[in-house]
Amino acid sequence: MTVAAAEPARRARLPRVGRAALEYAGFVPTIVLLGLFFLVPLGIIVCYSFWETVDYSVVHHWTTENYRYFFSVTAYVSTMWATLWVAVAATAIAIGLAFPFAYWLSRYVPKRLRTPLLVLVIVPFWSSYLLRVYSWLTILGDHGVLNRFLHWVGITRHPLGVFLYDRPAVILVLVYLYFPFGALTLYSSIERFDWNQLRAAMDLGASPLTAIFRILVPQIRPGIITAIIFVFIPILGEYLTPQIVGGTGGVMIGNLIVNFFQSAEYTRGAAASLLIALFIVALLAVFRKSLSSRDAYGT
Amino acid sequence: MAPEVEVLSTRGRVARGLLSTYAVLIYVFLFFPIVLLVLFSFNANRYGTFPITGWTLTWYRQAFDDYQVHDAVATTVKVALQVTLISTIVGTCAAFPLVRSRLPFREGIRIIFILPIMIPGLLIGVSLLVLFTGTFHWTLSPETAVIGQAVYTTPFVILLVAARLQGFDTALERAAADLGANAFQRLRRVVLPLILPAIFAGALFAFTLSLDEFIITYFLIGGHNTLPIFIYTQVKFGITPEVNAVASMLLGASLLLLGIAFALPQLVRRTRRLVVRARTA
Repeated sequence: MTVAAAEPARRARLPRVGRAALEYAGFVPTIVLLGLFFLVPLGIIVCYSFWETVDYSVVHHWTTENYRYFFSVTAYVSTMWATLWVAVAATAIAIGLAFPFAYWLSRYVPKRLRTPLLVLVIVPFWSSYLLRVYSWLTILGDHGVLNRFLHWVGITRHPLGVFLYDRPAVILVLVYLYFPFGALTLYSSIERFDWNQLRAAMDLGASPLTAIFRILVPQIRPGIITAIIFVFIPILGEYLTPQIVGGTGGVMIGNLIVNFFQSAEYTRGAAASLLIALFIVALLAVFRKSLSSRDAYGT
Repeated sequence: MAPEVEVLSTRGRVARGLLSTYAVLIYVFLFFPIVLLVLFSFNANRYGTFPITGWTLTWYRQAFDDYQVHDAVATTVKVALQVTLISTIVGTCAAFPLVRSRLPFREGIRIIFILPIMIPGLLIGVSLLVLFTGTFHWTLSPETAVIGQAVYTTPFVILLVAARLQGFDTALERAAADLGANAFQRLRRVVLPLILPAIFAGALFAFTLSLDEFIITYFLIGGHNTLPIFIYTQVKFGITPEVNAVASMLLGASLLLLGIAFALPQLVRRTRRLVVRARTA
């Protein structure tokens, strides 16, 4: 009797299992791709950072030597702090510049013009990243536009090398690179704002700036935080910008990592990479709450 | 309902004027370097900078004759096509269960899927380098670069196709089922045609991203060059007008493809409407 009762139950379950398998089958290629070629390698990097490189090959011997080495070299530690500092400065400036722009776009521009004007901002963002860095060489370099201009106006007689190959140049180019993302993210949250609230605040006697900072800014906080996260994180791992316009004065962690790997110091490079990952995790932990909200990643 | 453009006080008009000026400056800031780059590619001056000494196509001709550029273009296109194929198929497959299945931790899984976009490409490049050379003992080649790029481009396809599926009216499928269509027919005749613009846009996106990708490719391609890598190796020796020309062409190609990717869904919709109107008329 028990067998007879179990039989139809099993028959009913089989198709359900089949259906579930079919339902999730679409994930299989992604799990292979992102599992094998994204998560597994990240795990290996973690292991590497605790292993040793002996005679250009990696020995599976657990140690914290790589981290200790990194923090024992003053130049590395100061590069790490400089990277954080550059990332904070570039993020702050990019978002600071993007806010008035997004405000202008959503408040003063007629609706039908908004999308084209926004697309115009994103166009450079989607065009080649390398070329956008590279194009600044033609402006800041010795024969660059800026030096030519100063010479032409008569301010300088010889090209000035000060524009290029230092942190200010790196920050300038980073702001240039990431401004569009800040503008896009801020716009999409300011756009939903009800401007009558601002008018009401001002009718009640608030100055425009007070109204903006007390009424508008708190409401678009998730947008601001998303912008910060998405601008700050890629800057931490920047390699190309400091490499092209930063020279020796503008080195960031990304350059250290590449140098480690190019000189076959894999485990030290892995440790430096993990430091970046650690900063990212710390950042995400700080903003955890807003990240878990629905529209936090701007879909 | 607020009017489209509000009536402003004097103070409001001043604010609008100032902010509009500011916005113009921002656009100048955004486009100035790119415009200069293109401008200099037509400039006869061989330092690739001001003054403009005359207009010429010499640098383009030089770029077309350069066998290194040929190699780089061939590799770039080959890699981009493979990346596009992989990420379009993988991404589209993943979008379905992501939107439609009764998924526990849907948001968490979504975040893992978009993680490759969020973390710096440098980390993807470095970790795959270690996997390929250290663990698998593979020789680096354009194919290893394809894998690395696909990790980065697939999430974009997932996001685009998932967004389209989200807005998909499932009643259409139920109607097809009521009319006797089986699962395959529903997918083939109803679902795919409707999400095809998103799949196509995703493919174009992946292609463009692959064309321009630098850092992951830099680690994984071994002795070969894609165009961005070629440009980078040239930049090390200073800017030349020939590199300006190559760069301008790459820029033009990505902008063209992106233009198509953005315009395509609307274009498809409009054509479809026209076809429907022609049929009913």
